Amino acid sequence: MEMKFNGEFKVAIPRQEAFDLLSDPQKFAPLLPTFHSMSMKDDKTATVKVKVGIGKIHGVAATELTLEEAQEPLRAEYVGRGKVMGGAYNMIAGFDLEEAGSDTLIKWRGETQMYGKILSLAGGSMRGYAESEINRLIGSLQLALSPEAEAAAIVAARQAAKPQGLWQKLLALFGLWSPPLPAAPAREVASKEEPAAAVRLLAKPPTRKVLKADVAPAALSRTEVGESIEMDRHGNPTWVGSHLRRKEDSRLVRGRGLYVDDYQSSDMLHLAVVRSPYAHAKILSIDVSEAEALPGVITTLTGAEIASVMQPYMQIGPEPGANIKDYPMAVTKTIYQGEPVVAVVAETARIAADAAELVNVDYEALEPVTSAEDAQHDKSIIHPDMGTNHNWHGIFEYGDLDQAFAEAAHVVKIDRLHFHRFSSTPLETNACVATWDKRGDIDFFTTNTFPAIAMQMMAPALGVSLDNIRCRTHDIGGSFGNKITSYPGMTIAALASRKLGGRQVKWIETRNENLLAGGHGGERTFLDTEVALDADGVITAIRSRHLDDCGAFPRYEPLGCAIWSQVLPATMKLRNIRVDFNQYITNKCPAVPNRGYSRLQHLWFMERVLDICGHQLGMEPDEIRRRNYITEFPYTTPNGCVYDSGDYLKMLKTAQDLLGWDEWKEKQRQARAEGRWLGIGIGTTLDSGSNNFAQAQIVNPDAPFSGNSEVCTLKVGLDGSIVAALGTVPSGQGHETATAQVVADVLKGVGPDLIHVHAGTDTARNAYSGHSGTYASQFAVTGLSAVHGAAVKLRKELLAVGAYALQASEDELEFGEGEMGAQLSVPGTDKVIPFMYLSNIINTNNAGLPPELDEVTLNVRHVFRPKFEVPDLKRKYGNLTLTYAAQLHIAVVEIDKYTFVPQILDYVVVDDCGTQINPKIVEGQVHGATAHGLGAALMEQYLYDASGNLLTSSFSDYTPITAMNMPDLKCASQESPSPFSYNGAKGCGEGGGAPLHTLSAAIQDALAGEDVVVGDTFGSPTAIYDLLHGKGRRTTVTHESRSAA
Amino acid sequence: MSEFVEAVDIEVTVNGKTYQRSVEPRLLLVEFLREELGLTGTHIGCDTSYCGACTIHMNGAPVKSCTLFAVQADGQTLTTVEGLATDAGLHPLQKAFSEHHGLQCGYCTPGMLMSAKALLERNPNPSDKEIKKQIAGNVCRCTGYQNIIKSVHAAAAEMRES
Repeated sequence: MEMKFNGEFKVAIPRQEAFDLLSDPQKFAPLLPTFHSMSMKDDKTATVKVKVGIGKIHGVAATELTLEEAQEPLRAEYVGRGKVMGGAYNMIAGFDLEEAGSDTLIKWRGETQMYGKILSLAGGSMRGYAESEINRLIGSLQLALSPEAEAAAIVAARQAAKPQGLWQKLLALFGLWSPPLPAAPAREVASKEEPAAAVRLLAKPPTRKVLKADVAPAALSRTEVGESIEMDRHGNPTWVGSHLRRKEDSRLVRGRGLYVDDYQSSDMLHLAVVRSPYAHAKILSIDVSEAEALPGVITTLTGAEIASVMQPYMQIGPEPGANIKDYPMAVTKTIYQGEPVVAVVAETARIAADAAELVNVDYEALEPVTSAEDAQHDKSIIHPDMGTNHNWHGIFEYGDLDQAFAEAAHVVKIDRLHFHRFSSTPLETNACVATWDKRGDIDFFTTNTFPAIAMQMMAPALGVSLDNIRCRTHDIGGSFGNKITSYPGMTIAALASRKLGGRQVKWIETRNENLLAGGHGGERTFLDTEVALDADGVITAIRSRHLDDCGAFPRYEPLGCAIWSQVLPATMKLRNIRVDFNQYITNKCPAVPNRGYSRLQHLWFMERVLDICGHQLGMEPDEIRRRNYITEFPYTTPNGCVYDSGDYLKMLKTAQDLLGWDEWKEKQRQARAEGRWLGIGIGTTLDSGSNNFAQAQIVNPDAPFSGNSEVCTLKVGLDGSIVAALGTVPSGQGHETATAQVVADVLKGVGPDLIHVHAGTDTARNAYSGHSGTYASQFAVTGLSAVHGAAVKLRKELLAVGAYALQASEDELEFGEGEMGAQLSVPGTDKVIPFMYLSNIINTNNAGLPPELDEVTLNVRHVFRPKFEVPDLKRKYGNLTLTYAAQLHIAVVEIDKYTFVPQILDYVVVDDCGTQINPKIVEGQVHGATAHGLGAALMEQYLYDASGNLLTSSFSDYTPITAMNMPDLKCASQESPSPFSYNGAKGCGEGGGAPLHTLSAAIQDALAGEDVVVGDTFGSPTAIYDLLHGKGRRTTVTHESRSAA
Repeated sequence: MSEFVEAVDIEVTVNGKTYQRSVEPRLLLVEFLREELGLTGTHIGCDTSYCGACTIHMNGAPVKSCTLFAVQADGQTLTTVEGLATDAGLHPLQKAFSEHHGLQCGYCTPGMLMSAKALLERNPNPSDKEIKKQIAGNVCRCTGYQNIIKSVHAAAAEMRES
């Protein structure tokens, strides 16, 4: 195949200057499109490496470029020879220079001959490809040859006049390249030799004026050299374990993420919600006439109308909670402040908000129930169909409590401890765009991070098959578990869409709505705790009664009533435990999973108990931990859970060394001598990941859940690209990057740059199971095991096709990257085949295939199922989760004696989440979880008054932690690989509890001389003031020592 | 109510491009950028000017675009996160945030970048405390701020060198 091109352009510089550039290979070569690097063979010949690519295939091709003719200052001609994309080519590029006044007219011509395999597949597209490449080269030349002030204008004009060649069409066909981060500078040129003038010119940003006037930023990315993110293992032998920059960042730092509210469409309608101002009230009447009369309002929906077209959601729990009629909107009465009462749909979000204010609702206030302790008395019943507010009750009893207490040297009694209400308040609120189309299919573009559950909740309620519902996500602005229960809002939007004949309806919570009704982390009260200890300070038994407050609806509850028992003994080796666990409905916002869901409440309780006992026995917090920690792994807990691995003693030692424990103890002695309140606290926490859903059967033997699973599909596309789709739903955890790392390690030789991972999830990709989602620290193990399994399957198929195509045996084959991207080759021979051809053989050019390839599709799906059993439900005994990461924090806190502000003077974090897939991402999770815990411990709470009004319903009142409140963290990590995961990894996202224990302990230690017991997780200045001044509920501790007896 | 209020003509220059639009007087600047101009990189994270996800530059100074009406931007020059990168590449802050894992979900990132940019323009070598103070009005719920501070230092160093 031969192609010829020619053209001319004028540049505003003298001819000699233009000739100097064009006749110098060192200056000319870097102008080639997608220039990668070069080295000079002699003064006329350069070996130039350029990146080449069609669609998602990209590789590096080498070209030998020789200055064949140079007639100063009239003419320069290059001859190039190279291999590209499975073929070879010769090319000639010539320039004739004519003077045109003070300018120079450059007439150029190019000839290319190509031959080889490439033409059979990409032949038709090569002309367009070559055209566009030449266009880019000429553009670079013009830029380089222009006086600096005009450089940018030419780039802009070139952008505007970009030809629509076949190559561009192919790009569109095969999907988009994600906008890249810039490639590393041309290393070989830039390092030693004087940078060529052209390179310098190109490196300068165009002047602002021109850029801003003519080029939208979005148009720029295509011109940038290097479409990859230039991943580097940093000396690590595998991609797993390397500190990789994230694939996701490229779009996110440019403001090009796609969050739900970023999706816009001209025919989209907007939904606003009228919410109950009362915590508990009867709805007497609703008048929507004024709202509907407002121009631009399309319709309204009331709870009564919604109840007439759907069934209540399935209840996870047993009787009496199973009788709750849970609709997404209040029907006859409202049971928490912020509950949806009416929905208004309008042409714009602002008209919808205006109309919502015109809805008139008459209420009759009912008596509110605002705490679990009050709920116990059933004075005011919230769900009449339940007949009580007591949603769940179960006794978790293991060992021999009576004997342990009879033999105890010490018995410590703690009357009441309380874990307050807060949540991680992701910066993006709950949102969706719902379309219930005329075929009966419902499409959700959503922020929900557990679509498998959301769909299982919605489908039966809406009377559709699960397969009629499609959930897709893209970028999600944080979730931390909170977005799992956004399905009621999604349901309202879907019903509005159906009512309006299938128009798109967007629902976006405001921050105020999110704080009122978007879901709160669970609140728990621990009553009548009794602790038995032996003479050495080892806890031998604990018995206690726990009241969990799940708010108005148990929408993911009562799962939390069992989930805490994954960490029943916390990090302690005691064998005798009895917890009488109760969950109550209150007139507060429904509880949702929140980072460390249900476990952190229990872990805080256990650590608080341990520290209170330490104080009673006069034992230092490090010493009592050393005596109580579990030290041998795997360790089977009294309720049959298996702690996979760990070394808590080592964590403690590391943390103490990092802090300078002895020095701080000395400083504390001095401070106390001066009357200052300075305390040191330790907190240990567990992050159990990849749970066994059979624990749902502990709360309800009829619950149709057990085990766990996650899905990955992985294929080689028709263009040879490697594409993964996940069932997990990332909201900032870097799943695209970690997935690419895992796949790259299986296809050893193919880098993560070449692995494309779809952002977000999409149930239409058939990559989900009934457990799919992101929650409970399960991506690193369950998610990546699915990815790994898929990669192994794909590898097997690729080898089978490769062996057939190259007439070689599979064990001779090696994966690698070549001119066309990923490839298989037989080392030491010229046998090589890119993935594009392998895919061609199977998918588009498959006549005459041998029978042994009948099952090969190069499109594999893997479901990973951890090995779990259903627990013994009667004894509540069995393994409830797969991995146990651990965190140990130490804080030094000084409380100001006049303002009661607790100031953190030093803070140490030690983390152990097994093998780290991407240490950078792990570090980010550790920092983030710590910030959530510190925010919760010191600043953040959902504070209700006695009438059930939320007093912290704006960020200005809720005050999420800012940079000003964060201490500088001293971090260390250790790796105790999990024996239960293929990669030794453990889930690592939920170490958020540790700061709560640590701060409670440090505040307690600071106030050691004040005869108070820290009995609440919330340690704001006001809370500390109240504690010291006897306001609010106090915690009373008694200690009976029998050692003398 | 909207139907009683006359629209106001405004002219705003955003990332170098001048736009003329007719807007409701109550339209917030952030809504104008996102809905009228399609510049959705500027985010909305709260409704009380606390979170700073909507931070942009107006005439070179950082402002929370949820706290201004679009009509107040009439005749002004704005820069949003979309205007940070040039065709020569990313802004040093954008590169540093990626290099040092200064972002996770990315929702606060545009506002963080714009706040940090304002700091580095007036103080090329800020201390930890100065960085913290600058981003005190920008909430991040993912990173715990540690790597954001590291990223700003790294970008400052790169900008000093160039």
